[in-house]
Amino acid sequence: MPTIADIANAIEATPIGTAIAESRYAFPIIEGTHLIALSVSVGLIFLTDLRLMGLFLRQIPAASVIHGLRPYVLCGFALVFISGGLLFWAEAAEVIASPAWVFKFAFIGLAGLNAAYFEFVISRRPGALSPERAKLPRGVKFAGLASLAIWTLVIICGRLIAYLPHWS
Amino acid sequence: MTTADFLTLIQASTLSHAISKSNHLLIAGFQVFHVMGFVLLLAALVLISLRLLGLILTQQTVPEVAGQALRLVWSGLALAVGSGVLMFIGSPKHYFYNPAFEVKMVLLLAAILVQALLFRKVAHTDHPNPWLARASVALSLGFWFAVSMAGRAIGFV
Repeated sequence: MPTIADIANAIEATPIGTAIAESRYAFPIIEGTHLIALSVSVGLIFLTDLRLMGLFLRQIPAASVIHGLRPYVLCGFALVFISGGLLFWAEAAEVIASPAWVFKFAFIGLAGLNAAYFEFVISRRPGALSPERAKLPRGVKFAGLASLAIWTLVIICGRLIAYLPHWS
Repeated sequence: MTTADFLTLIQASTLSHAISKSNHLLIAGFQVFHVMGFVLLLAALVLISLRLLGLILTQQTVPEVAGQALRLVWSGLALAVGSGVLMFIGSPKHYFYNPAFEVKMVLLLAAILVQALLFRKVAHTDHPNPWLARASVALSLGFWFAVSMAGRAIGFV
């Protein structure tokens, strides 16, 4: 039975995987695209989180900020996933050995759960994002803080992949 | 004093030694702050740009959206430059003689000039000329994207 490492090695050994890894320009260009796209998607999520916490754009209704930015956050994420997928293709065997990579994906999963809980539970409570309220409810503020913290951890883990290649 | 002498002087400083001789995770920490600063800068810039293009929050005026966001742009820049300067002090010659670093510094200067002389002023205008707004957005985002691309290239040349 193939192990996870075998599968990762096989992914990396495919023609596309090797082509990206060996190209002088492809790898840094894809990494740069990943960085810019995450600055748009995660960056705009940070701004939304700060709005939920009441620290940014307080004079603009929170619902307008969330719904206005959503399509751009999603476009940014599409580009993040495509560029990230290509980077994984080129160095699957290396990155799965890094604890930072494992934690990064655990935190991405947690960020997704937090966003789903906010979207389907917290924001649907009566008056949760009501523009008449001067202060948003505590649950909304906490959801913003949680999102800000989790996405920060995702970025920290992502940057540390190169610095923590092995578990020990 | 030549540039090489100056770089040698930086490299011989206590701070430089402290950074370059320490655990490599200190540099990783600087890298994290560098990326976080850039993410804040670019996110705030994209927010203002989307409003300038009339794509979001059209119920609010441009300055209403941009006011606080412009401060966030400068805070993000301060974070990125601060961590960047510390990395440079740690190994000045390694960076100074890297062609991608040179390109990045020229692009950074251009991006900051566009930000200070054009983008900031347009973002403080109640009803900016639509073409001026579009040109500011294109120039500003173009330069900042190029800065990040050149930055990513430093490790590869």
